Parts: sequence; C-alpha cells; structure tokens
Amino acid sequence: MDLLLQLMMNGLVNGSHYALLGIGFGLIFATTKLVHFAYGPIYAATAYVCWYSFMQLGLPFWAAFGLCVIAAIVLGLLSYLIVYRPLQSRSDSGLVTLIASLGLYTVIENLLGVIFGTGVKSVQGIDSDVFFLGPVFVTSFQLMQIAALILVGGALALFLRFTRYGQAIMAMTDNAEMAQIVGIDTRFVALLVFAIGSAIAAVPAVLILLKDSAGTHMGFSAVFLAFLSVVVGGIGSLRGAVAGGFLIGFVESAGLWQISTDWQSSIAFIILFLMLMLRPDGLFGVKR
Amino acid sequence: MLTILKKTALAGLALATGLASGSAALAQDPESYKIGAILAMSGAANEYGRVMSQGINLAIEEINAKGGIDGIPLEAVIEDHKSGVAKEGVAALNRLINLENTQVVLTSFSGPTLAIAPIADEKKVLLLNGGGVSAALVGASKYLFHNRSLASDLGLAALRHAHGLGLKKMSQLVWKNDAGESIEEVANKYWGAMGGTIAATEYVEIGASNIDTQIAKIRASNPDFVALWLFSPEPGLALKRLREFRFTKPIIGIEFTPDTQKAAGDASDGFQYTSDYFTATEEYPWSKAFSDAYEAKYGEKPDFYAANYYENVYVAAEAIRRAKAQGGAYYRGDKLADAIKADPQFDSVYGGKMTYQENGVAKKKVALFSVKDGQAKFFRYVSAD
Amino acid sequence: MEYVMHILVMVCMYAVLAISFNLLIGFAGLFALSQAVFFAIGAYATGLAAVAGLPFPMPEILAVLIGGIVGVLIALPALRTRGDYLVIVTLALQIVVLQVILNWKSLTGGTEGVRGIPGLSFFGVALSDPSHFLIYAAIVTALVFVFAWKVGHSPFGRAMKAMRENESAAQAVGKNLLYLKVSTFAVSAALAALAGSMFARYYNYVSVDSFSINETIYILAMVIVGGIGNLWGSVIGAAVLVALPELLKFLDMPTDIADQMRLVIYGVILILVLRFRPQGILPEPRGALHDGEETASAGGNASSLVVGDGSSKGEIVVDAKGLVKRFGGITAVSGFDIEMRAGQITGLIGPNGAGKTTAFNMLTGFLQPNEGSITLRGNSLLGLKPHRIVGAGVARSFQDLRLFRNMTVLDNVLVSLPDQAGDDLGQVFLRPAKVSRQEHENLARAMEVLRFVELDGKANETVNALSYAEEKLLVIARLLATGAEVMLFDEPLSGLDPTTLAEILPVIRKLADNGKVVCIIEHNLDVIKELSDVVYFLDEGRAMAVGTPEQVMTDPELAARYFK
Repeated sequence: MDLLLQLMMNGLVNGSHYALLGIGFGLIFATTKLVHFAYGPIYAATAYVCWYSFMQLGLPFWAAFGLCVIAAIVLGLLSYLIVYRPLQSRSDSGLVTLIASLGLYTVIENLLGVIFGTGVKSVQGIDSDVFFLGPVFVTSFQLMQIAALILVGGALALFLRFTRYGQAIMAMTDNAEMAQIVGIDTRFVALLVFAIGSAIAAVPAVLILLKDSAGTHMGFSAVFLAFLSVVVGGIGSLRGAVAGGFLIGFVESAGLWQISTDWQSSIAFIILFLMLMLRPDGLFGVKR
Repeated sequence: MLTILKKTALAGLALATGLASGSAALAQDPESYKIGAILAMSGAANEYGRVMSQGINLAIEEINAKGGIDGIPLEAVIEDHKSGVAKEGVAALNRLINLENTQVVLTSFSGPTLAIAPIADEKKVLLLNGGGVSAALVGASKYLFHNRSLASDLGLAALRHAHGLGLKKMSQLVWKNDAGESIEEVANKYWGAMGGTIAATEYVEIGASNIDTQIAKIRASNPDFVALWLFSPEPGLALKRLREFRFTKPIIGIEFTPDTQKAAGDASDGFQYTSDYFTATEEYPWSKAFSDAYEAKYGEKPDFYAANYYENVYVAAEAIRRAKAQGGAYYRGDKLADAIKADPQFDSVYGGKMTYQENGVAKKKVALFSVKDGQAKFFRYVSAD
Repeated sequence: MEYVMHILVMVCMYAVLAISFNLLIGFAGLFALSQAVFFAIGAYATGLAAVAGLPFPMPEILAVLIGGIVGVLIALPALRTRGDYLVIVTLALQIVVLQVILNWKSLTGGTEGVRGIPGLSFFGVALSDPSHFLIYAAIVTALVFVFAWKVGHSPFGRAMKAMRENESAAQAVGKNLLYLKVSTFAVSAALAALAGSMFARYYNYVSVDSFSINETIYILAMVIVGGIGNLWGSVIGAAVLVALPELLKFLDMPTDIADQMRLVIYGVILILVLRFRPQGILPEPRGALHDGEETASAGGNASSLVVGDGSSKGEIVVDAKGLVKRFGGITAVSGFDIEMRAGQITGLIGPNGAGKTTAFNMLTGFLQPNEGSITLRGNSLLGLKPHRIVGAGVARSFQDLRLFRNMTVLDNVLVSLPDQAGDDLGQVFLRPAKVSRQEHENLARAMEVLRFVELDGKANETVNALSYAEEKLLVIARLLATGAEVMLFDEPLSGLDPTTLAEILPVIRKLADNGKVVCIIEHNLDVIKELSDVVYFLDEGRAMAVGTPEQVMTDPELAARYFK
C-alpha cells in the first residue's frame, strides 16, 4: 500500500511534467495545426543553454534561466519563420510540414551534440531537499515540477481568457480562416504561440536538468509524451492537455504497481490506444 | 552549402573511380594500414563512440610518430553504427572492406558485432571488440577477439563480492538490452546458489529519462543491497535517485564512468563496483604514459573504454608486425588472426601482459572499486571464477 | 564492387518499403506511421521460420501472410481515427509492438535477436555476397513494383484515391470503406513484410534496433521526397535517401562530430527538398485519360445510366415513415414521412436547420434514424451502410460538393460507376481480362455521362481547374454515374447564375422523364416551382405541408410565416 501511495505521488509529479510539456506543444499544435516535432530538441537545447550559462559561464542561476528562455523563444521563432511558414505557403499538405519538422528535429538534436559535446550535462551546487509525507517521500525539485505546472498553466489560462492576444489565439485555434476574416493577424498570432509555446518548454527542461541531468536525446520522449498528452486530452484544450498529462503520468506509475517494468514504455500507449478507440476526440476534445 | 554540394559531387566521383581500382589485387605492403572502427558515433549512446575514437586516434598518432610499422603508417577509418543498429554496422563494414581495403576492424556493441560477424568470417576480416559485453559474442566469428571482460564475468565478480559482505537479499536494476540481461541471467542462476534471494527485478531502458517507478519499487522491496546491472550513464541516475530517497544500504554495480559520476554527483559516494581495471599507476609505465598523453590531448582522464580501444590498436599493430615477419601475402584478416592465435600474449596498457584464451576473450583482471568524492578507488582484484 | 552492390541492395529493399508505404499514405491517404512494424514482422517471421528449418520460399510466404494479418489488425484503429490522431496512435502502436517483440524472449530471442538465419541459395549458388543477392533483390523489387502498379492503377486504386480525397463522397458513390481500408492495410503490410524477409536473408541477423520509429520516418521521407501517389517516385525517393548518407560519408570532418554533422546536413537537405519541391521529385500522375478512341466501340451503352428501372410512372419507390433523429438532447428530425415516386421530382424546402440534410443522411445510411422505417420498393434500408444503399439504388450528392479534387473529371465519374469488378482486389489479379474489358466499357459510359452534362471537353482536367458551375455539373454527373434509380440532390443549383441554371434544369427534368426518382433540396422557390411535382415543406424536423408547389406556397399559414 505504501508503494502504491508512493507511485501515485510519482504519477502526480511526472504527470505535472507531461502536462507542462503538453501545454506548450499543444498551444502550437492547436493554433497552427503544425505537428512541431522539433519541440523536443528545442526543449533539450534550453536545458543545454541553461547548463552552459550556469556551469561554464558562471552566471547566476536566474540569469542562466532567463537566457535559456530567450534561447527557446529564438529557436521557436526561427523554426516557424525559416521552416514552417515558407512550407505552409507552398503546400497545403500537412505531410510536408510533418516531414520538415522531423528534418528540423534531426538538425537541432545533432547540432547540440556538435556544439556542446555528447556527454551528460549536470548541474552541481543546487541540491534538493527530501520531504516525507507519512510513508511517501518527495524532493523539492519534484514539488517544483508540480508548482511550475500550476504557475505556468494558470498564467497561460489567464492570458488566453483575459487579454486581446489570448482571445486572438483562441479564435485561431477554433477556426483559423474565420479568425483571418474577422481581422486577426494570423501570422502574428502564429509567431506569438511559437514564442510562448517554446518559452514554456524551458521550464520543464530546466527542472529536469536540475533533477536528473541533460542529454542531447532527451527531446524524443519529451515531445512524444507531449503529443500524447494533447491527443489523449483532446486537441485545442488547455484543460485537456493537463488532464491527458496527468492520466499518462498516473497510469505510467501506478500501472506498474503489479506489472513488470519491462513494459514501462508500452503502458502509456496502451492507454492511449484504448482511449482513442473509445473516445476518438480525447477527454476534452471538440467533436469535429 | 555550395561547397558541400561540390564536395558531395566529388565524393560521388571518388566512389566511381574507386570502383575501378578497388578490386585490384592486394600488394604485399599497402600504402598504409587502415584500422577500421565501427562505433556509436551518433545516436543515443554516442558518448561511447567519442571516447573510443579518442583512444584509437591517440594510439595511431603514437605508432605513426615512431615510424608506423616498418615505415608504413597506420590510418584510422571510423564508421558509425548509430548506437547499436545492426544494419548500420553491416553497411559500415561493407564500406570498410570495399572502399578502404580494411583488414582489421575494431567493433563495439553486441548488435552490430553479431550482424557483421558472418561477413567478417567470409571476407576474412580481423575483428577486435573492446566494448560489447554480451555472452552471445563469444565465438560469433572465428576472427573475433575481445579485450574486454564479458558482462557475465563482471556480474559474477560483483555477486561474489556481495556474498563476501554477507548480504542476502538483492534487488536488481537491469539495463533493457542484451548486456544488462546477460548479467541478470547470471545473477538469477548463481545468486540463489550462493544462498541469496532476489527481492525485486526492475528494468531500465537505455537512455531512460525517468526511473522513479523502478526506484520506488526497488525501495519498497526492502533489500539488503541493490545491484545495478546498468551501463553509463544510467548507474548515475539510479544512484542519485536511490540516495536522494534515503536508501542507505550498499549499492553494487559493474561500471563507473566520468559520465556516470556527472549524473550521480555526490550520490556516487560509497558505490562499489567490479570492472575492468584501468588506472594509471607508477607501477606500470605504459599505463601512466597513456593516461598522461590522453589527458594532455583531450583534457580528461581516460576511462577503460578509451584504454581498451587504444590497446586494441596496439594489438592490431603487433599482429600486423608478427604476420609481416612471416612474409608472403601477410596483410589479410585471417593471417592476422592466425598471428594472434599462434602467440596469444600481448602487452596490456592495463599493465603486464594479457592472454587471449581459446574462445577469443583476453581476460582482464577484474577489480573491485569503491567511489569516494567522485573518484574511483581501487580496492583489490577479485576473481570471477 | 561490393560496396556499390550493397547500396543497390539497400535501394531495392527500401524501394519495396517506400512502395508499400506509398500505397497506404499516398494512394489511400491512410496516414498510419507503423510501416517499420510490418518490416520487423516480416524479418522476424522469415528469420524464425528459416532458423527452424523451413525451406525457401516457405519463410517468405509465411512472412507475407503474417504481415498481412497484422496489417489487418492495425487497420482497426484506422477505421476509428484519422489525421493527427491516427499518426500518434500508430506511432505509439509501433513502440508497443517492438516492446512485445523485445519481451517475448522465448520466441524472438529478446534483446539478443535472431542469429544464424540461413541465407538464400539457388541452383547451388549461395547469395551470400551483395552482388549475388542484388539479383534476387532486384527481381523481388520488380515484382513488387508491378504488383503495386496493378493495384494502384486498377479500379481498386482509383477507389483508394477517392477515399483519400473524401471518405463520405467515396461512400456516396458506392465504395465500401471497410473493405478498402482493410485490404489496403493488408496489401501494404504484406509488401513491407516481404522487404523484411529480404532483410533477414541478407543480414542473417534480426534484432529490434533495426526497426525503430526512425525507420518508419526514414521510409516516410522517401515517399514524400519521391512524390506522394507516384510509384516511380518511391523508387527514386528510396535511391536518393539511401545514397545521400553514403555520399555524405565522403565529407571529411573531425572524427568526434563527423557523423552528427552528417545528420545535420541530411536534415538540412531534406528540408530544402521539401521547400523547393513540396510535391516531391515526381508529382502524382493524373490518372485515366480520355483519348477519344472508345466512342465508336461502345457508344449507346451509357444511356442506361440515365434511364430508370422502367417502373410505371407514379409508383411509390421510396417510402419513409416516422423518421426521428436525435443528437444528444436536440431532436433534428421528429416524425418525418416522405414518399418518392417514379418519374417525379420531389422538392424539399424549409428554413435552415429544418432537418432537410439530416433526412437525406438517414435515407442514404449516413445516419441511422432513432425511430421510423425506410423502404425501397418494400425492402427495408435500415441498418445498411451507405455503399450498400447506393448499390440498392439510392444515391445522393452533397451540398458542399465533396468532389475528388485531385483527380480528373473523368476519374471522378469513372470511380462512381456501379458494379465494377475491379473494385475487388481479388478480381484485379484473378480475372484481369474481365476487369480490363469492363474498364474499356466504363470509359465509354463515363464519357457518355460527361457528354450528357456537357463536360466531355474537360474530361482530362483535374477538378481544381473547373469553374464553380462546372463543379456543380460534375456533382450531377457523378450522381448519374452511380446508376442509382433514386437520386437525392442536396442544393445542386445554389450559387449558379441564371444562364447556367437554364442549362441544368432540363437535365434534371429529363432524368425524371426517363423514369428516375428525383428528390431535391433547394432554397430557390422559382426552381422548385418549375421542377417539382411534389413539395415537402419541412420545419422543426417534420413536414408542415405536402402538395404541389402551388398548393404549398399558397397555403395561407405558411405564406404568412415563410413566403412573405
């Protein structure tokens, strides 16, 4: 029983991480309809920039974090401006941008190895505390992962609901053509979501850097689980991405309570599979 | 971009002209001895490739600086198997054989090595492995030699050590590939015979980003010690997590690299492991010289993977030298393999001599280490038998 | 030179994979990213069967069969989901299948893989080196190409493309989506499994590392770069993407970054190709072309399509009673009765949201009514799939046209013709003569239909090149081509100028005069007046009035409410 409680706690923590990734990826996906696989290596790149600024340049941690957010935004905007936008204007097929995003994925991931070297990057000098809640233990970094979701998710929800630009994003998510007709500058909104979505990636990336360490290939599972959270939760729904992230986090942890960890990477997908068979539009998806 | 295209075009040309000249009969002495290597130069485990290739390049520089082999220089041709993809290994071997006329190939990882073994047999290419540890590798090709202890030997040595400490209840974390699973097999077979029990067996994927579930289950199994049948850098993550959650009992493993240390941080303190022993001491001048030269060139200390591949280049050079002394069309993989079998003793960068056994494995001395302040401290040699 | 031979073997193997994948995503538009699973299953099946001692070609046959069966299983999610959902489901499925292979140690050898797979040998010659194996690989690839070409350019292939362009429209011209999807998956998977068996025979070693998601992506890139929907393109795409990394090997770079730099360059080149040639190196061919030859041979045949079943005028053909359709809490249609008679034009009018289109959807099987009955000459149509209802003789058009936009005008009509033996994949291969003869006749019938709506001059254009009025005409032509006795037109005339209208009205009139049953949804009351024999006025999901156009439009109550 103690083990199950612990696994539930792990699920909560991992779920927060997936949810945060899902929010960033989902924002871009829902608004621009781009399956931005390069979100993964951009997420990895932010961890590298943070590591480099803090460990190699010796900047204070807040400055390193600030720099990596900026790096994320720059990479996100460049992806859109250099790769996706020209392709979208030349072809209406989603396949072409999908392949391009995979090409971009390869480029960024390998450039990271070329620039920073391939070894493990870890941060020394920032340690975590452990808290015991009865039989369940949790570290301060894990608590920060939960807090980050609440803060970033909350801020994004407020932004989307109460600001002009937020409304524009929602309108474009609903129907891009309609949004354009009513006078929304959809190109600007697309840039905006790439900036915000990429900036969000910096938060979970830095937390993983602190909690575990960074590697050039960390982006693969990140973008995959982000995509998964969004689809399970329902495309175009912030709430859905969060719910999807938590569902996957819990199932992945608690699901292995009695099942061998041999099956760790499958278990979330089996859920996804059943889920989409039963509810093809996700938990909170809009029927289309 | 334009220059790249130009270069590619030139490369195509080179390929075409290579067609004409490649199949020409082997001269007695080649212009250079090309030492091929098929390593993880990209993909999830490319850190291994980096370290191994550094060892190779250093050895070749040293040998060439001393005039090569009777004036003929060595040349490294490093290929990529993308971190263990079998078919990439085969493609690489084909390139090495056909484009480079390579007779010696240093190989790594079990998958690619198993895939190229039959081709090496047929084309008579000498294979020297210094990284792959799966038991399946033994005897995969008659021209395959290892200067790396097999995983099962390392695991057995670790189990003996645990037994010596009087530990009974083991929980194990297993790397989800043939290397990890071949140790698990040994452990499942022998630990019971040593009077121990296995409380939990959990699996970790290569490049796993999150092992919290495994750690929670291991911790809940409440073992006397945890065995890490993991390879770099996963032991680091496991150590960090276990210690973070106040698991205070012994943790015993089979590998420790600088990367592992980076991932583990302070949590590596007290980690005990059995591994091929490479450490530079005054006692062995060659190992000291290698370690110093490596550090001077690359700015980091060599780990045993660098040492193994460095050593393999010397083995290859020595084999060529011996075969050449026999005369005739000596520069062929099978002749080189014969030279090794005829006199299986070679100098080892680990100190002293190493001897290739019948099955092609040169047993290294397996040593027990304990980590203190991020540094591995040699304890003593242990026997795996 | 064996190195080049090895590369050519790779080109062959990947050409087979790209061709198989192109049938799935390029022709049928089924965007399932799990091709490496079929590849893996073929390799494992061949490897295990050959190790167990089965002689050639038993392991190969087994691989193809098992591949096909797994393909059918993976088709199941594709029946439920589409687009991005299908992408992620199939990517995920791939991870699950690979993990099953990895964990099923007793069968697959787990992480160690299958070793010592016997190679091939014919007439005492072992195909152990690349140059010998290449002969086998090239023969297999050529056979696969011919097979795929047959599939892609048969009536079945045309139906695949129609499904890709628009699923509901494909159903509305009588195509069985379930059959199309399942058989496409089976064929595609079986071909990929054949590539897998080449893999096993060539490498003599199989392990899961070789079949990761990266592999699926690699094959996908070949299809896209080569040109989607073009089989030659897949061969060229395979050649380019196999050769490119090999050529990049000749770029000299520092050892520790070389292979990563090559991948960077590979990615950049991929993006540039997409940027400057988004349709791929070879674009999709246009499809069947009208060369003007067939007219003489089979002239009069087509007229049967525009003539009814010879039922006596006024006989009730379709009879629907008490139709009810609820969506959640909303009742869209509540107790609607309608009769349609031979030789008559029935008009459906009423405000937006009155339930007209919902009624059509129920009559044609796109929706199942919650209550009520629908009969065609006394036979119930309830519970039948749309394509069965088309087959029974009731077809419809869509308000938003739903033409097969990237197909030619001629193909739009050809694909809609009824009773095509070539729609059945088995017949394509078992009775090629019959299929080809029928195809010849059908070309004539299709041209006849196009002449009927005066689109014969545009037969070889794609739909994208048509004007709006011409598109409307094509909608009518497509409906005609189904040969259905009962034709339901959903706003066929909206948005047309008076001149065009004057051209089309007699066409529809003529259908009824020829004995067809015509029902038409229309907002333009002048048109209704001129065309219809009977008018149903719908509002709030039921018929508020039924009668001749004059009766309905002069009904004082309705006039007060609607016809001001």
